[in-house]
Amino acid sequence: MPRWLKDNGLSIAFGLIFLASLAGQAISGHGSVNHEAALHQGDPISFWHYVTSAIFWTDVMENWQSEYLQFTLYIFATAWLLQKGSNESKELDRVGTETDEQQLLGDHTKRNSPLWAKAGGLRTTIFSNSLLLVMGSIWMLSWLAQSITGRINYNETQLDHLAAPVSWLTYITTSDFWNRTLQNWQSEFLAVGSMAILSVYLRQRGSPESKPVGAPHSATGTEG
Amino acid sequence: MRSVRVIFLLYLTLIALGLGYAIALGLLEH
Repeated sequence: MPRWLKDNGLSIAFGLIFLASLAGQAISGHGSVNHEAALHQGDPISFWHYVTSAIFWTDVMENWQSEYLQFTLYIFATAWLLQKGSNESKELDRVGTETDEQQLLGDHTKRNSPLWAKAGGLRTTIFSNSLLLVMGSIWMLSWLAQSITGRINYNETQLDHLAAPVSWLTYITTSDFWNRTLQNWQSEFLAVGSMAILSVYLRQRGSPESKPVGAPHSATGTEG
Repeated sequence: MRSVRVIFLLYLTLIALGLGYAIALGLLEH
């Protein structure tokens, strides 16, 4: 196996299954839309028309936003909230943003610390929160994208049934928007809560998401 | 670290393209 592949197995594998799933979603979504059209004596649309349409992109964006919300919340919450016995939690005495010594900042930076960690001031503050900032921005932008593409679909259905189209501000108060949003959120929150609590008593040998198999159930924040 | 940086940038580019397209689609069809 080439070195670059071994070094990046996780991100390459997930990138590939992402692309394969997106392609599968496009093919099955196109089939589903045309099936629906046939049932209503409508005209079928081309594959290209479908994958560039608001129908496809609303579905993509509503799932993106919930995943990025999940990780944004998780990054933030795990700094402040702890779970005794969980591998997903820090040790119970490390709640909050921790000391400069623990975070290798100020006098504790190393020779090979990132430039913005050594810089101090605003740059270090930004870099200290950069993961949360970027994941949170992706969440908010994909939620925004869900709302503006969702509104186009909503208004097309409204017009098909001779009802008035709605503004964006009205759309974000509709049951359609919140149903699409919350059905994704609920599953993310359940999965995250499950990971936090199941990792107290269950193990996966070799996975850093688990404690070492022989670690006691009471051990908090020990990677295996 | 070179290959790691390439994949890091690839992910960010992919996400930006997806978000950019969806937002532009929404604004243009509006």
